[in-house]
Amino acid sequence: MRHRASQELRDFRGPDEVAAEARAWTVVRAAYLEREPVRRPRSRRGVLLAPALAVAAAVLVLSPAGAKVGRIITHALGVAHAAHALYSLPSPGRILMSGPGGTWTAAADGSTRHLGSWPQASWSPHGLYVAVASADRLAAVDARGGVRWAIARPGVSDPRWYSPSGYRVAYLSAGTLRTIAGDGTDDRRLAARVAPVAPAWRPAGALGPFEVAYATDRNRVVVRDADSDAVLWSAAPGGRPRELIWSGDGRRLVVVTAHAVRTYAGHGGLVATIHVAASDAALAPDGRTLALVVNHRQVIVAGRQLFAGAGVRTVSWSPDGRWLLVDWPAANQWVFVRVAGAPHVTAVSRISQQFSARQAFPQLEGWCCTAGGPAG
Amino acid sequence: MFESVPAAADSLAIGGDLGRRRVRPPRSEQALIRGILAGSEADLEVLFRRYWPRAYRMAFLIVHDHAAAEDIAQEAFLAAVRRLDRFDRRRRFDPWLGAIVANRAIDWVRARTARREAAGEPVGDTPSPPDQPIGRYSQEVLTALASLSAEHRAVIVLRYLLEYSPGEIARALDLPRGTVNSRLRRGLDTLESRLTELDPR
Repeated sequence: MRHRASQELRDFRGPDEVAAEARAWTVVRAAYLEREPVRRPRSRRGVLLAPALAVAAAVLVLSPAGAKVGRIITHALGVAHAAHALYSLPSPGRILMSGPGGTWTAAADGSTRHLGSWPQASWSPHGLYVAVASADRLAAVDARGGVRWAIARPGVSDPRWYSPSGYRVAYLSAGTLRTIAGDGTDDRRLAARVAPVAPAWRPAGALGPFEVAYATDRNRVVVRDADSDAVLWSAAPGGRPRELIWSGDGRRLVVVTAHAVRTYAGHGGLVATIHVAASDAALAPDGRTLALVVNHRQVIVAGRQLFAGAGVRTVSWSPDGRWLLVDWPAANQWVFVRVAGAPHVTAVSRISQQFSARQAFPQLEGWCCTAGGPAG
Repeated sequence: MFESVPAAADSLAIGGDLGRRRVRPPRSEQALIRGILAGSEADLEVLFRRYWPRAYRMAFLIVHDHAAAEDIAQEAFLAAVRRLDRFDRRRRFDPWLGAIVANRAIDWVRARTARREAAGEPVGDTPSPPDQPIGRYSQEVLTALASLSAEHRAVIVLRYLLEYSPGEIARALDLPRGTVNSRLRRGLDTLESRLTELDPR
């Protein structure tokens, strides 16, 4: 019997082995060709801008020590020699995107999957499910697009899973903030008069406490306990909030407005204000390093400009924190910028044609996943 | 005539069906690694074709999920190539890669076990049924393997799929050699009893 088991192990062939090998070779080869065998001295042609220095200060507040420091890449407008299709991702994981063309995922080997005609989507903490929203419906779908549960509500948008457990989903509905359990039960209204800004769960343990930050229609930021309804604190960031981001340890809340980035302590005290026109922000998987899109033109990480291009929109971190994906609707490109290691930029063009019959450029919803949750 | 693509020469030489053609003997691991570090994509492909299938099989036999196994094997190979300049060339590449794969696969199984993405089962983190392998591998062995813990599966697979010695397994998984031996013994006993239950031939 032992002989039979060991013999069968030796004879074993895995499922879909030939195709899997071909896919893996594509990725391995691409990674090898993109490597930097010899480290060249870093180019320092770029000049750091005042806002960039200010952002560096913000990052220091988030991360007193040891934050990854990006490199300066002074990049000309437009990425030449962009691939005409998404053949592979430069880093493991899957990208989620949504828009008029519906919700799609793109895997590391370049394969894509259409999850349905949902115009908004958000990863669950480990990427097993996607919360999707249409005008009057919130649903959870699996990786193949199968609907696991759905609920009808008016004006649904911006679903966000609680991380790390996924036990709650917060979403907006007709000017209210609502929460629902991860299995689609216990839907309830948490707050009224809410601004159309994605809520942000404060990272904590698997079983909570479930504290969520949101913006009111009077431009205040409120942090509320989702189980007791208690308001824990609120603050006026001095402008309309665009984005709310908790640090990985839940000790800082970053509020991005049109003209400033403000950092609050976990109890609500203002820690720092940086006057910079950030249009998007994303926290690295390490939970400390912030990437900003400034003036719809510059991508800045840890105070350094990594990329510049007129009309860049949003950024997402790769799950391993080594790459940034910059979406650039004006150029109809995705640009992958290596943050760790030697500087490198690669791009894919014709994004709208690949993910929408109407040729609408999709919205990046995140690059998943690590044990700590999706990036970006 | 030499094969222009080293990978082809490598596979021909391994297959043994050489006919009258003269082919290059398989290049040694050390030569391949030297070539890769010097920028030879062809050498990288030879190394990849030689070792990736076994890495994938090993990952699959531990995690029982072909998509995860593909990711694990691919990432392990990438990790190994990235660290190739620090690889001690007096050692064999295969156990080194196998160690990366085994440890990542065990981590993956542990993470899957610990993961609970949603309250309740309707959207809970229920793993899909084990994928069905192809080839001569029997469902009985797959089912019997699934009854072992990831740690025991890894030891059994390293020993009987990759034919590592207990010492190599101990180094790969950072375990005392006695623990490897006891896991091998216990794993095989469990396999044997499960196989007897499933197919008492």
